[in-house]
Amino acid sequence: MLIELLTDKYPGMRFWLTQRLTALVMAAYFVLMLLILVIVRPEGFEGWRNFISPIWLRIATFLFFTSLCMHAWLGVRDVLRDYIFNVTLRQYLQIVVDILLVIYIVWLSVILWNL
Amino acid sequence: MKKIQAKNRPKNLNLLTIRLPINAVVSILHRASGVFLFLALPLFLLAFQASVHSAKSYAELADLLDGWFIKLVLIGLSWAFFHHFFAGIRHLLQDVHWMTSLQKARFSSRVVLWLVGFSVLTFAVCIW
Repeated sequence: MLIELLTDKYPGMRFWLTQRLTALVMAAYFVLMLLILVIVRPEGFEGWRNFISPIWLRIATFLFFTSLCMHAWLGVRDVLRDYIFNVTLRQYLQIVVDILLVIYIVWLSVILWNL
Repeated sequence: MKKIQAKNRPKNLNLLTIRLPINAVVSILHRASGVFLFLALPLFLLAFQASVHSAKSYAELADLLDGWFIKLVLIGLSWAFFHHFFAGIRHLLQDVHWMTSLQKARFSSRVVLWLVGFSVLTFAVCIW
C-alpha cells in the first residue's frame, strides 16, 4: 500500500514525501551544527575555516543545501500555483526559480570545493 | 433552491476584517517565512563565501554584520527561520496524527509562537 503510493500512479505523493524527508535532513543538520558550534566555538577566520574544512562536514553541508533547494523548489512551486493565475507568467517564473536554484547549488559546490 | 443558496452565500475577502484563527496564523506565516528564506538564499551564500574566502573578506563581513541595521535584518531573518522551523515540525507531527484535534492544534500553535519568540529573543541577545 505504502509502496504503491510512491509509484508513478501517484506523483504527488513523491513530492509530498520529498518535502518531508528534506525537511528532516535540514532539521538534523541544523540541530547538529548548532550543538557542534556551541561546543567547538571556532575563533576568527582560521578557526572558522579549519572548522568547516573536514570532508565529512563539506559533504554534510552539500547534502543539507541540496535538500534545501529541493524543499524550496517544492514550496515555491506551491506558492506560484496558488497565487499566480496567469499560466504563461507562472511558467516563466517557475523557470526563473529553477535556474536560480541550480545556480545556487553550483555556487555552493564551488565554495565548498575551494575550501 | 440549493444552487441559488450556494451562489448567494456571503463572501468576505476583505483582508482588514478577516480574523484568522491562531492555527491559520501559524500556517500562513509558515508559508510567508518560507518565501522570505528563499528570497534571502543568495545573501546567505554571499555571506558564507565571504566568511571562508580570505582573512580580509572575513574581516569585511564581520564589520558589515556589526552594523545595527544589518543586525535588525538578521533578527528578521532569524524570525523567518525559527518560525519555519518550529511550524514545520508541528506540521510533521500532524502528518503522523499527533495533536490533530482542534483544541490540541490551537494549543500547539501557541507553543510554536512561544518557541519562536523565545528563540528570536535568544538570537537577538546573542548577536547584540
